[in-house]
Amino acid sequence: MVETYCVVTFESTQHSLMFEKLLKDNKLGVKLMPVPRQLSSSCGTAAYVSCDEKDRILELTKINNIPISEFHILEVSKSGSILSKFMKK
Amino acid sequence: MNSKLKMFISGGVIGLVGVVLLILGNPGNMGLCIACFWRDITGALGLHRAGVVQYIRPEIIGIIFGSAIMAFIGGDFKSKGGSSPFVRFVLGFFLMIGALVFLGCPLRMIFRLANGDLNALIGLFGYVSGIFIGIQFLKKGYSLGKSIEQSQIAKYIMPIFGLVLLIFLVIRPAFILFSTEGPGSMAAPVIAALVGGLIVGALLQRTRICTAGGFRDLMLIKDTHFLFGLLGIFVFALAGNLIFNFDSFNLGFANQPIAHTNHLWNFLGMALVGLCSSLLGGCPIRQTVLASQGDSDAGITVLGLVMGAAFSHNFGLASSGAGPTSNGQIAVIIGLVVVSIIGYAVTRKSQLKVK
Repeated sequence: MVETYCVVTFESTQHSLMFEKLLKDNKLGVKLMPVPRQLSSSCGTAAYVSCDEKDRILELTKINNIPISEFHILEVSKSGSILSKFMKK
Repeated sequence: MNSKLKMFISGGVIGLVGVVLLILGNPGNMGLCIACFWRDITGALGLHRAGVVQYIRPEIIGIIFGSAIMAFIGGDFKSKGGSSPFVRFVLGFFLMIGALVFLGCPLRMIFRLANGDLNALIGLFGYVSGIFIGIQFLKKGYSLGKSIEQSQIAKYIMPIFGLVLLIFLVIRPAFILFSTEGPGSMAAPVIAALVGGLIVGALLQRTRICTAGGFRDLMLIKDTHFLFGLLGIFVFALAGNLIFNFDSFNLGFANQPIAHTNHLWNFLGMALVGLCSSLLGGCPIRQTVLASQGDSDAGITVLGLVMGAAFSHNFGLASSGAGPTSNGQIAVIIGLVVVSIIGYAVTRKSQLKVK
């Protein structure tokens, strides 16, 4: 089974905090977290968001001038075995 | 949960490697210490002349190779750089001065704590306070800027430096200095230290565990992903010490190996380390790993650490078991002021950009 989730990355920590506030103010789900390993070897801050809201989120960041780096759609195998996760990466 | 368990176990392996290297002969509570080990290498290269802390620590060579190889396998081995290198150099410089006033990097702080040294608890309070101050800059827009792709040759520099160090270690030319007494003369066998370093480097590259990142994410975004790695290091090192190394376990402040009991300067030394680490985006071990996977900015930071170590011993800034020196105290104050000015100036510039 494959699970899809969406992550937004930023150029600075402050941008991620501004993004979090923007989404919360607009009653959209958001959770800050370390950048997923698949995306980067850095340990910066990213935001976990709902994939269904992609268009709305991108529109909001544009209107409010919140700089984001990229909107990523990630697929994670949920087959259970740790090995299969490593293979996927 | 699964990912946190993975972090915890990875940290645990690092903790056990530290305990094994301690039992095999590394100096007291110094199974692994990135600041101390770079300082020893600085001394071995003759950049400082403190005769008791000169040795080419194979652990560092192992960490360089372990990180580089793991990065190569995972596709992370890339030339990157250009994000405020000179500022990073200065931050690395003062980071080392703070670490040598406390007597250890954040990693050794965890290992000291795991062997009962409560002075490290004071250091931990200082370290977390320093990171907390750094976070205030991050929240207001502090950023050293995006790094960009560099010439391909850049990523080979650190691994080649590691190779050169290995050659020096093996053939021991006359111009490389090796301590005959003191901590610099106490060492695990070369092969064991190399293998230990390889394991630690590979794990750190893969997991991105960072002592600064763990506390930063806890305070800044209430995320405990990296913190579980640190907990793993502590719990496994504590268990390892209690089971295999019980004779050296000593709970308390007094009579701890390579440590002093001056609370104020243990606190302030590590506060400086915490502030520098959060402004750099990583503690000394993370900088070493990043430098090994092709990040020139981290490479410059490591050179800052080396320069800081050289000055610390040449100017009598480093503490000893007897306590901090007055020169060291002045240097920590200067460091806190200079680094705060850097934090303020960088933050101010990026605020102007956002507007």
